[in-house]
Amino acid sequence: MNALLSIENLSVEFDTHGGVVHAVRDVSLAAYPGETVAVVGESGCGKTVTFQSVMGLIPMPPGRITAGEVTWRGDRMHLGRSAGRDLRGTEIGMIFQDPMSSLNPTMRIGDQIAEPLQVHRGKSRRQALSQAVSLLDQARIHAPERCAKQYPFELSGGMLQRAMIAMAIACEPAMLIADEPTTALDVTIQSDILDLLADLQQRKGMTIVLVTHDLGVVARVADRVAVMYAGQIVESGTVDDVFYRPAHPYTVGLKAALPARSIDPGRDLEPIAGTPPDLFAPPAGCGYFMRCPRAMRVCEGHPPDLVSLEAGHVSRCWLHHDYAADVSLDQA
Amino acid sequence: MKRLLQGVVTIWFIATSTFVAMHNVPGNPLLDEKAVSPEIRRNLEARYGLDRPVFPDQYLTYMRNILRGDFGISFTQRNRRVNDILREHFPVSAILGILAIVFAGFGGILFGSLTAVYRNRLPDVVIMVLVVVGISVPGFVFAALAQLGIVGLNEVLGWTVLPVAGWGTLRHLIIPSLVLGLGTMAFLTRLMRSSMLDVLGADYIRTARSKGLPPTRIFFRHQLANASLPVLTVLGPAIAAITTGGFVVELIFAIPGLGRYFVEAVQQLDYTVIMGTTVFYGTFLVVMVLVVDLAYALVDPRVRLE
Repeated sequence: MNALLSIENLSVEFDTHGGVVHAVRDVSLAAYPGETVAVVGESGCGKTVTFQSVMGLIPMPPGRITAGEVTWRGDRMHLGRSAGRDLRGTEIGMIFQDPMSSLNPTMRIGDQIAEPLQVHRGKSRRQALSQAVSLLDQARIHAPERCAKQYPFELSGGMLQRAMIAMAIACEPAMLIADEPTTALDVTIQSDILDLLADLQQRKGMTIVLVTHDLGVVARVADRVAVMYAGQIVESGTVDDVFYRPAHPYTVGLKAALPARSIDPGRDLEPIAGTPPDLFAPPAGCGYFMRCPRAMRVCEGHPPDLVSLEAGHVSRCWLHHDYAADVSLDQA
Repeated sequence: MKRLLQGVVTIWFIATSTFVAMHNVPGNPLLDEKAVSPEIRRNLEARYGLDRPVFPDQYLTYMRNILRGDFGISFTQRNRRVNDILREHFPVSAILGILAIVFAGFGGILFGSLTAVYRNRLPDVVIMVLVVVGISVPGFVFAALAQLGIVGLNEVLGWTVLPVAGWGTLRHLIIPSLVLGLGTMAFLTRLMRSSMLDVLGADYIRTARSKGLPPTRIFFRHQLANASLPVLTVLGPAIAAITTGGFVVELIFAIPGLGRYFVEAVQQLDYTVIMGTTVFYGTFLVVMVLVVDLAYALVDPRVRLE
C-alpha cells in the first residue's frame, strides 16, 4: 500500500535570540490510509513542530525547513512558507492541544465550522450552517442547533474540542492530525474524545496522526508508534513492537516510568534521570547518551543509525549494532 | 441600567461643580463696566434668584432650568439664548468631531495593522516614528503647519485646492478634521499594533490557517475583528480628547463651532454660556461613553452584561 503522507529526512530549525534551535533532525515517517499513527515524546522533542512545519503552520521566519522531502499521495509537497496550503482543511484536518484558545472568541461556533465549507466547497452560508449542525451532531454534541449559535466562551473544554473535531472533518479530509488533542482535558473527557476519534475514523476511513506525550493514549488507539527524542525518531514500529518488545533504552525507560496495575505493588516508578539535551547545540553522538543507563563509549561521539530489527520495527541505538554485546534491555 | 444611573450622577456632578466654580470666580455679571439699566437688572435678578441666597435658592433654580433644558440667556450677546447657540453651533463641532473620529479610527486600525504585519520592517519603523511625532506634538502646531502647507500648495498650483480656513463646504472640512484626529490616530495606531501582534500569535489564527482559509479572509474575519476590540474600548476617551482638541482647532481654522464660543465665553465671563456649554458637553461625553460601551457589548459576545 502506498503511503498517504510520507516525510523523508525532514529537518527544521528556528532562529532565536539564543541561537539556532535544531528542533527536528532528520525525521522520516509515513502514514498509510486508514491507520492511526502515534508520535510520542516529551515536551520539546519536536513532535509538534514536525507536523506543523509540513502543514506550513510554523512562523517562517524564524522557522525554516532545512532539509527533507514530503509527499502527499505520492506527489511531492512544496515546503516553504505556504507549505500544505492546498491540503489544509480539505485533505488534512487538524485539531490542537488547547480547544479553549483554538477557537475564535468572537465568532459563533456554527460560523467557524461553516467557514471551510463555504471556502472549499462553495456552499452558501445557509447550507454551510445547516451542515455545521449535522457535523456537531456527528461529533456527539447534544443540542447541536443551540451549540452552533453559541460562542466559544459559553462551552466547556470537552465541548470545544468536539467542535474543533467537527470543524476539522467538515470537508471530509483523508487525514486528521490531532496534536495533543486530550492534554488540556480531564480524564473522563479524554476518553470520550478518543472514542469519538476512533469512531469517526472507522466510519470515514480517515488516517489519524496522533501527536501526544501520553503513552496510555497511544496504547489505546494507535496502530503504529514513533517515539521521538531530541528532534529525532529513536524507535518506531507497531504498538505491540514498541510496547512489548521495546528496543531503544529511551522507550524502555518511558515504560518503566509509567504507572501500571503492576503485579508487584511495591514497585516504584523509575523516572528517567537528567534532562533532554540542548537543541541549540545537538550532541555529536546519540541524543540520549547523557541519560542512558546502557551508554557505551561509542555513543558519545558517533550518532547511531536506525537499525531494522523486525519488519517495520526500527530503533536508533548502537546496542543493535552487530559488534555490540548481546544484552537484554529489560534488565536495564 | 446601572451605567445609566452612573451617567446621571456624573452629569449632576458636572453641573454642580460648574455652578460652584462660576460662583467663586471673581466678578459679578451685573456689576461690570457695561451699563445695565435698573429694570433689566431687576428682571435678571428675579429670574435667576440673584437677589436671594446662593444656596439653596439659586442652585435649585439653576438645576430646575437645566432639567427643563433651559440654559438661560447669554450675558454678552444681544438677544441670544444659550440654547440657540448650542443648536446653531454644536452641529458644526459635531460634524468636525465625527469626521476626526472616523479618520482617527480607520487610520489607527489601518496603520496599526500594517505595523504589526510588517513588524520590525520598514513600514513598521517609519509609521512608528510618525506615531511618536503625532503623540508628542500638540495639535495646534499641526494646524499651523497644515495651513502653511495649504497656502504653499495653492500658490504653486495657482488655484485654491483647499481653503486655508473657514466653513461651508466639504473642502473646508478635510484639513481641520485630519489635524483634529491626528493625535488620536497616532495613539490608536500604537494600541492597534500591540493588540494585532497579540492576535497574530493566537491559537485561533493557527486554527483558521489549518482550515485552509485564504489569507485575506483570515485577516478580516479573524485578525482584524479581534484586534480592533481594544481600540473600541478607548473610543470613548478618544471622543473626549477630540472634543476638547476641537476648541483649539476651531479657533485656528475660524470654524464657527461650539468650542470657539466656549473659549470666547470664558474670556468674556459669559456665565450662562460657560455653564450651558460645559453641562452640555459633559452630558454629550457621558452619552458617548455609554454608546461606546453598548457598541462594545454588541461586538464582543463575552461582554454581554445587564
